[in-house]
Amino acid sequence: MSTKKKTTPDLVELTSKPCTTLDGQGFKTLIEAAMTWVKTNQQTINALNVFPVPDGDTGTNMLLTMQAAYNEIASSGENNVGKIAHAVAQGALMGARGNSGVILSQIWRGFARGLDSLDTLNAQVFATALDESRATAYKGVVRPVEGTILTVIKDVSIAAKKITAETEDLIEILEHIVTAADESVQHTPELLPILKQAGVVDSGGKGLFFLLEGMLRHLKGLPLETPTATVLPLASMKLDEAMEGVEPGQDYEVVIDFRPNEPLNLEKYYEGLGEIGTSIQVGEGDGMYRMHIHVPTEKRYEPIEYTLKLGTITKVAMENLLAQMEEQQGKNDQKINLAALESGHIAVVAVSPGKGISRIFASLGVAAIVEGGQTMNPSTEEILHAFENLHTDKVIILPNNKNIILAAQNAATLTVKKVAVIPSSTVPQGLSAMLRLVGDADFDHVVSEMNEAIHEVETGEVTIATRTVEINGVDVKSGEVIALLNGKLVNAEPTLEEACEKLLKSAKTEDRERITIFYGNNISKNEVNKIVDDIRLIYPNHEFELHDGGQPHYQFIFMIE
Amino acid sequence: MSERNNQFGNIYVSHRAIATIACQSALESYGVVGLAAKNLAEGLAQVLVKDPSLGVDVHYDGQMIQIDLYIIIEYGTRITTVSSSVADSVAYQVEKSLGIPVNHVNVHVRGLRISNAD
Repeated sequence: MSTKKKTTPDLVELTSKPCTTLDGQGFKTLIEAAMTWVKTNQQTINALNVFPVPDGDTGTNMLLTMQAAYNEIASSGENNVGKIAHAVAQGALMGARGNSGVILSQIWRGFARGLDSLDTLNAQVFATALDESRATAYKGVVRPVEGTILTVIKDVSIAAKKITAETEDLIEILEHIVTAADESVQHTPELLPILKQAGVVDSGGKGLFFLLEGMLRHLKGLPLETPTATVLPLASMKLDEAMEGVEPGQDYEVVIDFRPNEPLNLEKYYEGLGEIGTSIQVGEGDGMYRMHIHVPTEKRYEPIEYTLKLGTITKVAMENLLAQMEEQQGKNDQKINLAALESGHIAVVAVSPGKGISRIFASLGVAAIVEGGQTMNPSTEEILHAFENLHTDKVIILPNNKNIILAAQNAATLTVKKVAVIPSSTVPQGLSAMLRLVGDADFDHVVSEMNEAIHEVETGEVTIATRTVEINGVDVKSGEVIALLNGKLVNAEPTLEEACEKLLKSAKTEDRERITIFYGNNISKNEVNKIVDDIRLIYPNHEFELHDGGQPHYQFIFMIE
Repeated sequence: MSERNNQFGNIYVSHRAIATIACQSALESYGVVGLAAKNLAEGLAQVLVKDPSLGVDVHYDGQMIQIDLYIIIEYGTRITTVSSSVADSVAYQVEKSLGIPVNHVNVHVRGLRISNAD
């Protein structure tokens, strides 16, 4: 994150006198505050996401959209508030992620139109702009679904109109609007049955609430970096998805239901739990609390003892996450479905280093997959065996590693079938070639298309150096993170972040459009998210795809198109 | 016709029924302001569609469903994002309603509607 820690002395001053106008720079700090507050509360928003598709990414999408919006103005010294708003709208449009992001970009677009090219923003203008936001947001869909972010912006604009007739003070106005947004969010389950069933409020609406609240907190000089300890409604605690973020040191999941003896001091409770474990969630319903935490094996009884001091425990559930994880992985392992090959069509055999990558090759229609890659090269026989029994005499092999090309070529000479080996030396090259497959087209034509395709992508690979060496003029110390571009060593850095960033720079990523990232089996999802968020910030206008490649050795494989 | 069995006999779900689900969910998806007829010449796109299978093409091979959507998008939204959201929503709704996996949703953007030029 590029946001600087805000110190607040200049703002305390603001609170003492009524603030009635904002110029471009003032508005810019509000946008930054809104973005920071959404970032702080990102996970809370994600946890609420059940509509339209329950994929738990609303908070992340809204944050990425806001980051793209803020990037447009981050270095601008513009004083005209209208121009700043237009730049925000432009950034949000270009960086819109997901449904909520698109709606948010429309809200900013309307807002910018409302401000037109005015120098400063005052109460009246603010109300007009919010009304434009509402109008523009509603125009973007044939059948607006109520009980979503759309409803919240509508209620907000109505509240703004009412309050601006009474006062000029922007802090007072925002305070009123934030309350209205909160009430509107709380009301969403009444309008959208699916929210009620899931026992949550709307995630996008909640995100919009945080945006506005972030602005208000900034104007009041309240901190934006630490989340207010939140209590979720009991039903929205996503306990069944506990597996997602399991990492070493989080061996057990402990869930405790309890009734506190005295009103619970949430901040303090969180603090105490924070010393024991991670992934802390606390839910409340009817005076009953439920606490959820991940802890290492040796600390598995500590949350119970800690909570016992505060009240009466009614139920404790403890699960061994590592054992479950292994079971889950066993299940995932079986799920690769290869498309049925039509008799006589061209069959493609791909060598894949990881389960996730195999699944992607399968979805693109390969007829057979051979496991193998760096340090586990499949033999000629294994490759031969993969295609000998297929109902076709036309076979294309994608070795996807330069050490396997030879084995593949050998396999080609040992069969009566017509076999072509595409010299793909990396997974992205193989995927790129795979996209050119037309099963019933002329064999030679497909082969030449594929041969061309492998030169159309850049491949980046990131791994840890196992020894100290100097290659291509790059000094590498054992244990450093090294980055390879199209198989050539380009840099060695102390951290994964730096290696990834420098690698993308060397690949001239700014001239490309899409970055597909496959992460390996030797890196945690949290680390991946952190690094990928950083990269997204550097390339806000690129398309990103993130896949669990499951490959060994390489923390990341990048496919840059 | 997609076919499923229960203990009393067969359940048939027509392409049209699948198309109706897809169509409803597409029209509720943000950024989509209409479906366009797949065969008509360009420019004849209708913004409000009465026929539920207009603008939606369903292929079903007995195992997997493939859906083609022909849509009109609001000008000024990010087209790639709107397209992938609508594909996600449609796939999710159809799978949830029918319990049959949807393996492809192809989105064809047939036009943009300009409500506000700015």
